[in-house]
Amino acid sequence: MKKKIINLIFNIMKNRKLKQLITLMLVTVASCNQPETIVTNIVHRDGSVTRRIEMRNSENKFEVSDLQVPYDTTWIIRDSMEFTGEGDTVWVKRAEKLFADIEEINRDYLADSGANKDIFRHAEFRKKFKWFNTEYSFSEVIEKKMSYGYPVREFLNQDELRWFYSPYKLTDEKKNGPDSLKYRAFNDTVDKKLEKWYMKNLVSEWIGEFSVLTGESVSNKLTKESLKLRENEFVEILRKDIEHFDSLWQNGTLLRKFIGEANAMKYKTEADSAAITATERFWVDFKPYTVRSLMPGKTTDTNGFIDSAGFLLWPVNSDFFLTEPYIMQAESKTPNLWAWMVSGLFLLFVITGTAFKRKS
Amino acid sequence: MKMREDNEKYNKMIEILRNSRPELLRPEEIEDKVIRRIRHERSKAEITSGFIETVFGWVYIDWVRRSLIGVAFVLIAVFIYQQASILKQVNNISNQVVIPGIGQGTASSSEFDKKLTIYKISSGLSGDREIKISENQLEELLDSYQDLQGKYKDLLRIIEENPELNKYIEKRLDEEKNNKPDL
Repeated sequence: MKKKIINLIFNIMKNRKLKQLITLMLVTVASCNQPETIVTNIVHRDGSVTRRIEMRNSENKFEVSDLQVPYDTTWIIRDSMEFTGEGDTVWVKRAEKLFADIEEINRDYLADSGANKDIFRHAEFRKKFKWFNTEYSFSEVIEKKMSYGYPVREFLNQDELRWFYSPYKLTDEKKNGPDSLKYRAFNDTVDKKLEKWYMKNLVSEWIGEFSVLTGESVSNKLTKESLKLRENEFVEILRKDIEHFDSLWQNGTLLRKFIGEANAMKYKTEADSAAITATERFWVDFKPYTVRSLMPGKTTDTNGFIDSAGFLLWPVNSDFFLTEPYIMQAESKTPNLWAWMVSGLFLLFVITGTAFKRKS
Repeated sequence: MKMREDNEKYNKMIEILRNSRPELLRPEEIEDKVIRRIRHERSKAEITSGFIETVFGWVYIDWVRRSLIGVAFVLIAVFIYQQASILKQVNNISNQVVIPGIGQGTASSSEFDKKLTIYKISSGLSGDREIKISENQLEELLDSYQDLQGKYKDLLRIIEENPELNKYIEKRLDEEKNNKPDL
């Protein structure tokens, strides 16, 4: 009986949660004090941008290599120490710099040596004259990491997408609020769908890379198109054996199931390289932060959220730019008062002329 | 009687005044002045009407008049359209959910789950991979580990106390062992 119970414990340990725990304990668990960072862009009419960074940390430690966004000593820096409601000490570093144009911000992104230096980011600014108003468009873009992944919108419906892109503060508040059960169940549904999305992306990336590495030399059975047709089958194999993925991949079992005995032997090197490339792209080493923007004039369109201070807000997480570029976009309009006056005078002129004609 | 005398005097005086008219020294000069003044008045009116004619001369050219009226209507239409669309967009924005406070806070447990899922899939292919979590997440993890341990103990107790369930689970475990490779 005792032996059976030990066996049972072993098998229960294969349960997802516990496996995750064991996996976690086997890896380096670093309690990293990454600062909580908020980047605020104040966009001006001439295309210049005042950029403010607010970093909060439990330690007075703000190494450039730990920071989420480019920042250096050319910024105006203010350090302070604050106390939270719970009485904890928080070190706050505030930095501000005026960028003459978008190119200057993009140069900073290119030269970034911070924690997110491997991520390709850039900003865009557009100004359009539309007679009565001038339209401004500002966006921060993070390029996608995977080359052959699927957009997340193919896996989540509108409500789930909104949940997926929401800041933690909002989702956590809902999960712990009055309808917590409902929201927790909803969150679990989203997580399950995301797990499927992860798998499909990984398989798709592997297929794409494997096809590139093997090139024209493969038989018809191994062309990208034929492998793509079997993609769902691969995903199912992977999902079924995910608990033993490491060992099954190492001993070639999975590869044999994917491409057959002979091909698995022949293309083992390419398959391994493709798998490494796919996981490198899949595993995004990224420290999350928050972007806020303040546009000139009235904000007319955005794909972000609005915070209590009236700023537009976007959370930035690695999942958001895994398979698609993450575009944090805002549009605004300012009235051209001189154009309003010119138009008014013109209308008066035409009306007077028409009246004069009738009179004469 | 006296009144009649006064009237006679008055009439005589009037008669004298009528007969003694002032003598004009240069009547041509006065004539010129009058004519000049009349001409000046007339030219002022002519300038004004000429200016109006020039500015509003287009009203007599049919195609210009129609074009300018057309442009005026287009301007009005563009103005109404632009302002209505701005109003609509601003209303849409103001209906958006406002997030209390600023920032997104520390990563949530769901983000941590995602990290683990990704790690689970890819760890075997990249041996030197690190996973970084915050102190809060570590505390959360240990809490859930303890919680899980408690649940397992309960589960084992339930299974031990129920022979039928025990038998069923043993059977399922044997089946699973036969189906999956023994690691």
